[in-house]
Amino acid sequence: MLSTGEKKDTVKAMVRTCRLLRRMNQNNPTARRSESLYYEMLDIYYSRLALAREQKQFIAAHTVFFPAEILYAMDLVPMHSEVSTWMTALFLEYQSDMLAAGAELGLTPEICSAHRGLAGAFALQALPRPDVVLWTNLICDNTAKSGELLMKLNDCPGFFLDHPFQNTKIEEKYMINEITEMVRFLETKSGHKMNWDKLSEIISRTNHEINLLHEINELRKAVPSPFYNKDFLPLLTIDYMFPGQPEAIVYLEALRDEMQDMIRQGKGAAPREQYRLMTLFIPPMNLMGFLENLSRDYGAMSVVEPLFTLWKPGQLDPGHPLDSVVQKSFMIPETHNMYGPLGQETLNQIVTSARDYKVDGAVYWAHIGCRHTCAAVKLIKDTLNEIDIPLLTIDCDIIDPTISPESEIREKMERFFELLDDR
Amino acid sequence: MKALGIDIGSLNTKAVILTGGSAFTSSIVPSGDDAEKSARAAIGAAQHQVGLGNETDWFIVATGAGSKSLTFTQQQKSITTCVARGTNFIFPTARMVIDIGAESGAVLKINERGRLNDWASHDKCAAGTGIFLQQMAKLMQISIEEMSRLSMLAKARADITGTCAVFAESEVISHVHRQPPTPKEVIIAGIYYSVVTRIIGLCKRVNIEKEIAITGGVALNKGVVHMLETELGCSLLVPQLPQVIGALGAALIARENIEKGAAK
Repeated sequence: MLSTGEKKDTVKAMVRTCRLLRRMNQNNPTARRSESLYYEMLDIYYSRLALAREQKQFIAAHTVFFPAEILYAMDLVPMHSEVSTWMTALFLEYQSDMLAAGAELGLTPEICSAHRGLAGAFALQALPRPDVVLWTNLICDNTAKSGELLMKLNDCPGFFLDHPFQNTKIEEKYMINEITEMVRFLETKSGHKMNWDKLSEIISRTNHEINLLHEINELRKAVPSPFYNKDFLPLLTIDYMFPGQPEAIVYLEALRDEMQDMIRQGKGAAPREQYRLMTLFIPPMNLMGFLENLSRDYGAMSVVEPLFTLWKPGQLDPGHPLDSVVQKSFMIPETHNMYGPLGQETLNQIVTSARDYKVDGAVYWAHIGCRHTCAAVKLIKDTLNEIDIPLLTIDCDIIDPTISPESEIREKMERFFELLDDR
Repeated sequence: MKALGIDIGSLNTKAVILTGGSAFTSSIVPSGDDAEKSARAAIGAAQHQVGLGNETDWFIVATGAGSKSLTFTQQQKSITTCVARGTNFIFPTARMVIDIGAESGAVLKINERGRLNDWASHDKCAAGTGIFLQQMAKLMQISIEEMSRLSMLAKARADITGTCAVFAESEVISHVHRQPPTPKEVIIAGIYYSVVTRIIGLCKRVNIEKEIAITGGVALNKGVVHMLETELGCSLLVPQLPQVIGALGAALIARENIEKGAAK
């Protein structure tokens, strides 16, 4: 185990890993093109970060659901802190070091591991030292309160972007003021000017990305499901890391085309689809391989994740880029479903998607560090039970595999499959 | 072909043989390190009771923690599925089952066919399980039976945590050693209440539905059953042999397989 004094160059290791995985995919005749493209996207992202560190370019670390399109438009190098922490944990099996470093900072296991790991990653200097830290209150108080610590760990300035709960005209205006102020802050700190034309282009491509995500969601309604369980994570990273980036559009188009081909051929992603599952909240990162194996071993497919993949309808207007950034922030699945009070709209969407996607059962990954989403379990369970959809709640941790071992989760899933078989 | 169910628990291994209609024979042996050996011992004891041996053609369904390691069974089923089936066989009107074993605590919702509709379990701590009660009895230097009897005499109860077995133990020690010491029955009532509140929490997670049965070894503890009945405000259905309900369910599933022709 590392102490906080030791360093590991995870960015370069990430680049090497992505390239290796991409080569392996390219040499595998059964691998899908979209898989290679996903690793290519990550390669581009982390190579840019590695280069930025070497050339001392301006790096802006940001938390989840931060509007990274602003950074791309200003030619700043974005570093998505949470995803970079997950990625290093997942690809480099580095989670125990990062969590241990978080513990050395006094962050106990009861605190969300995404934040423990994130602080640990910066303490270990596993992620490059940023020039600024940008954070928001999306979608939890942990994130809102983590920024100060990240600034301290990196000895750099920061900006807190306050996102309102409700989506009204007054709050949209407030949000525009917040972003305008943040742009001024970034211009002062980086010396880079906001390029509004570039932001418009990015918004146009972001709009295309969102439309592609809608198309993919529609295709996922097919029986059998043409969507692989392991593609959930790449799908999440699109807006987290690549808003309006051409490489993301290439990836999404390839994924959509592959799914259309599969539907035409009547093929599913599982050898024999048995259970169509709704995924609520987010499964532990270390279990992505396990979940893919569930499709092979049990025919269990995650066909919809209403809290994470179903975007609120709406089109962005490149002619009004700043308004579009704000509008998009309210369309993000996690923001409109899990930020603020749990609204009837969200419960309705869960019910509608259970029907539309022909769901047999739902699995709620109750991340023990995420108090506000765990508080919703009962209400969501009762709502699904009303339409005769059983819900399995699995207490787990998003990164820390010591909280719920794979064997324990497998056993619970097997019990749940028996329950579904018996119906 | 005969149906046989086996449940490998963490403390005891149970076998059930269906002997026709609603009759069955069961055996209980302590679980050892070797699940296969314990299972064979339990099966041997049950076979002996019905006068049949290995020369008989058996369809064996296994359940419980060690069931996957058995080499001689035809099928494995989860303990929740088996307890649901077994309870329905004994109490067809039961719609909820509280199952408390040596190292587990679960609440099951079942339908009129004995199929599982929902369940909730706690598996992060021994608090609320049979082992926890055994440990507490040892700490109080009394038998489980005496502890059960005393719990029903208590007029008050001590506050004992229901979330951590280790902390609960410390709290009990502090009650025993304080001056004047907390009366035994008050401590015991506190211990039982910590178990009961944990179980009722699980009941509420899946929504309480009557009638309610209780299975697993802890169902033999009259004090726990009494307190659960008081808190739930209803009588519980307690089978004569609550420890073997999982094995009974496994045997019933074995019989279903035989009837469906899956054994051929």
